[in-house]
Amino acid sequence: MGNRRITRRQFIQRSGAAALGASFAGTLLAGCGGGSEGGSGQVAYWSNLEGSGPQDYFGKNIETPFEKSNKGTQLKVTFQPPDEMDRLLRTALQGGEGPDIVMTPGPAYAQEYIDANLFAELDDYAGQYGWDDKLLGWALDLGRVGGSLSAIPYQLQTMLLYYNKSLFGEMGMKPPKNRDELEAMAEELSGQGITPFAAGIGDDPAAVEWFPTVFWNHYSGPDALYQALTGETKFADPIFVEAIELFKSYVDNGWFGGSQERFFSNGFDTLHADFGDGKAAMNVEGSWFMASAVDFFGQAAGNENDWDWTPLPPLREGVPPELYELGIGSTLSVNQSAQNPEGAAAFVDYLVADKARVTEWMAAVPSAFNAPLPFQEGDFPSSMDPRVERQLVSLSQATSEGNFGYTNWSFFPAKSTVYIQEEMQKVLTSDITAAEYCSGLDEVFKEDRKEGLVPKIIKPGSA
Amino acid sequence: MEAGHAAATTKRASGRQRRRRGLVAWVFMIPLVIVNVLVILGPSVATIYYSFTEWSGLGPAEFVGLENYREILSDGDFYLAMWHNVLWTAIFLTVPISMGLLGAFLLSQITRFQLFFRIVYFIPYVVASVVNAALWQNILDPDRGIGSALASVGIPFLDGVSFFGSERLALPSVAFVNNWAWWGFVVLLFLTALQSVDTQLYDAAKVDGAGRWQQFVNVTIPGIRPTLVFVVLLTIINSLLVFDYVYIITRGGPAGASEVVGTLMYKEAFERFEAGYAAAMGLGLSFVSGLIVLGFIFLRRRGWEI
Repeated sequence: MGNRRITRRQFIQRSGAAALGASFAGTLLAGCGGGSEGGSGQVAYWSNLEGSGPQDYFGKNIETPFEKSNKGTQLKVTFQPPDEMDRLLRTALQGGEGPDIVMTPGPAYAQEYIDANLFAELDDYAGQYGWDDKLLGWALDLGRVGGSLSAIPYQLQTMLLYYNKSLFGEMGMKPPKNRDELEAMAEELSGQGITPFAAGIGDDPAAVEWFPTVFWNHYSGPDALYQALTGETKFADPIFVEAIELFKSYVDNGWFGGSQERFFSNGFDTLHADFGDGKAAMNVEGSWFMASAVDFFGQAAGNENDWDWTPLPPLREGVPPELYELGIGSTLSVNQSAQNPEGAAAFVDYLVADKARVTEWMAAVPSAFNAPLPFQEGDFPSSMDPRVERQLVSLSQATSEGNFGYTNWSFFPAKSTVYIQEEMQKVLTSDITAAEYCSGLDEVFKEDRKEGLVPKIIKPGSA
Repeated sequence: MEAGHAAATTKRASGRQRRRRGLVAWVFMIPLVIVNVLVILGPSVATIYYSFTEWSGLGPAEFVGLENYREILSDGDFYLAMWHNVLWTAIFLTVPISMGLLGAFLLSQITRFQLFFRIVYFIPYVVASVVNAALWQNILDPDRGIGSALASVGIPFLDGVSFFGSERLALPSVAFVNNWAWWGFVVLLFLTALQSVDTQLYDAAKVDGAGRWQQFVNVTIPGIRPTLVFVVLLTIINSLLVFDYVYIITRGGPAGASEVVGTLMYKEAFERFEAGYAAAMGLGLSFVSGLIVLGFIFLRRRGWEI
């Protein structure tokens, strides 16, 4: 999770100028903040936004308009370092303190707090604000434990294949549509001294989890994942082992990051700079990268290159060609000991559930406010980057058609997630085999499942 | 009678004075005792309690007796991390102490610019570890760091070496960065100790025909022995508790190649939500530290001049 946070953080910091430039749109938004029936008193909120631009934007265009439209509720916002946020929250909540609105790094983390009875139930507010009608159903289900809603999903994510459009143009390449094309391109690029995929986990080793996510979804397939996540089959099955072996073979070939050692040591700035400069041709990363792409492509980055994205291709026959892993980067909950829970719920609704407002924010500060709402073409302001808009619409459409997979960090419980992150490195260094890795995951997952920690798994359309 | 009465009066007065002095001492000590109980004793007792529980770090803890300790005894990751702590200790007992002794000895030989060098050596120690780590991550970057710069002038042996990405190099590389920040402090400790050694002892040794090395072994080392022992003890305890540089630079990776008990404990408590197990690990580490300190005390009582 930390990797994703860092990446988003880098993006958010760098998009400060864009956020400031969007103040006009924000002023308009200030005028259209709908009133709600929040309570009165102070509502404390810890945000993971970084950089003066996004923080100023938040103050002018979210905090002030919310207070204007919710007379009697004062929002007290504290910006916490994203990497430290969860640790600070755990300490504060355990001591009966902490903010009234609690942001966690995802549904698996939220469940730990819910199990400890630290979050208020939100079912009444869901009815009051109509969240079932406004938010994507699968996302909302991730915040339900034992049939009760306690966490609202936030920061919608998926994994994508980014490519250096300029480099592809020069080399006469097109985005790969299947494994054969992908591997042929990787061979050719390697032969010409270009790293096929910019990659590295030097800044955050936990980011290695992106790759099991991608290979299990696009090789094993969403049906196999659904069956394993629901306990019908095992993660030790060959279909999962083969996916990990395939990933390892790509790393051994030097296709990810240039070499195994560089894969371990490359930081985000290094790999993104290589991607922008054309030293690497593609990048397998989450949708959050769109926020920082502007810093590595074009004049600001000292090159004339451009980027685009495409869905990750199927790596095996029978896997859907356009498939998006579903991911939730954070959740919002109301602290059980909040003095003004009505005000807190009103702010959650204000922040997440109004499509018109949210799309303005998403255009102004990309990726920071990706609410899980059903988006369509035409929902977004003209100022939004068309590539970002296309991604949000594609993800929304694929979800409704059942063409989705599962990110580790949203659908696996915390212990299984940590296992996936930690032990994957041992596979890459050949300390354990792919089969041992998958068997180990199966054991950890079984324990998690026995303890009831697996969130609700929605069925893909192809299953 | 009068003499006896006077003696009794003097005795009573003396007793009152003693009690008063004792009371004053307690008045001065009480705030510290309260702080100690709140900040050290309280959390320590809580840690001992939680080490016997299954606790996620949130909500109520379930008492499980010695289960966490049994689990530690069969935990391969713990043994590997402990082994890395031992290696780390070995590195820090040799490299920075040797460099510190040499640096202090050389500095003691000069008078001009001595203050300048003392400041230069000390600066890395007072710079935040996160800054030092970021600096060396850039210097040792395989593409943009010193290896690539040397290669561009015809010295290619470090070109493309991934110091923090290699299983073989990660631990010594992080130790190198930590040593860079640490050894200047050791120099200053030894330099201060050296300046307290009686110069007449060196003169006497010279008269006896002792060379530089013999002076170092027979005069300098015995003269700074208390400081040397202090530094060794500090090094061992710091090495067992090492966390910051490893966590910042490699987070224990790749594949656990630089994992130490401190980073493993952090992961158990804050990533795997096994705070009870992490508490047991912490106590295990404290136990080892305690044994080492007890060893020193035992040797001292046996007459060792340490």
